[in-house]
Amino acid sequence: MKKIIMLSTVTVILSLFFLGCTAPITSGIGTSAMIQGDDFSTHLQVNNPKLGQKLKIIDVKSRKKNDLLEINLQLKNTYKKSLKLQYHFNWFDAQGFVIESRKTPWKPLELHGFQSTGLRGLAPNEQVASFNVYVREVPEKAYRY
Amino acid sequence: MKKLIIATTIGLAITMVAGCAQKSVVRYGDATAVETTDINFGSTDLQKVAGDMTDSLLLSPVVGSLTQNKRPVMFVERIKNKTSEHIDTESITDSISTKLLRSGKFRFVDMARVEAAREQIKFQQDGGMVDTNKSVQFGKQIGAEYMLYGNLSSIVKSNKDKSDVYYKFTLRLMDLESGLVEWADETEIRKTKAKASVGW
Repeated sequence: MKKIIMLSTVTVILSLFFLGCTAPITSGIGTSAMIQGDDFSTHLQVNNPKLGQKLKIIDVKSRKKNDLLEINLQLKNTYKKSLKLQYHFNWFDAQGFVIESRKTPWKPLELHGFQSTGLRGLAPNEQVASFNVYVREVPEKAYRY
Repeated sequence: MKKLIIATTIGLAITMVAGCAQKSVVRYGDATAVETTDINFGSTDLQKVAGDMTDSLLLSPVVGSLTQNKRPVMFVERIKNKTSEHIDTESITDSISTKLLRSGKFRFVDMARVEAAREQIKFQQDGGMVDTNKSVQFGKQIGAEYMLYGNLSSIVKSNKDKSDVYYKFTLRLMDLESGLVEWADETEIRKTKAKASVGW
């Protein structure tokens, strides 16, 4: 009996240790660099398979509007619970050099269970020729007040 | 065996306490990351508002026709802060004007620096130190054709378990000659803070 209690205590402490002290998983799903008219399905990247099962990229469309590259990203939550997500676009010129590096912020997004939504991205200037997109789920820290 | 388990337990407990202890560590963070330190207006809100408004303005058909063959000159009046918080709205207008300027579609005049510019031109004209043939002349500046202005308002509600804040940001573009509002858009942000049910 004592042995069971001891083992349970060790298990609980181990669980608390790993729950409380591990760094959050910040990988997600996205695409590699795409140009206008590319088939998105050949560019899909799933770095976080657990998120990849709950969230699907349904479509990525692009067009030129007012000389700027406009992106329409379709996401679908295939999970019954809400997903707290962040998404981000990267922009590249015709030679593949990054444009406005580290200036495009991560945008927060909440998708309810089985909800799908369309997100817009707009190139910061006319030099943009290709882009990629990345979506990640970041565990939220619970705040006390 | 019993001693080994006790020793392991104590060892793990010490490791846990030591590993999770709140140490003061300075780190460089990601300036573009989503920030949720508290419920007040933060960097993510500023970036979202500036990004949404810039994208909307640059995609509007009106702006498409305005910028087809020229780069219109604009000035930013100000964003009225109608919230109960102290928010540096000049920072929002700075972000919006910088993004619009960097898009290559618009040019701006900076009304906040008119006096400094006047002083410099006056120095060049009257100071006797600058070659008058190369000095900048008064009366050559280009006036703004369009004005950007807007409002930031909020609705705050809370009870003992939950706080909720809703921000609404409205931006408008006025043709200074005709007085017509050529474009307007608004963006919304909702933030909630609930008591943690589990946490340490």
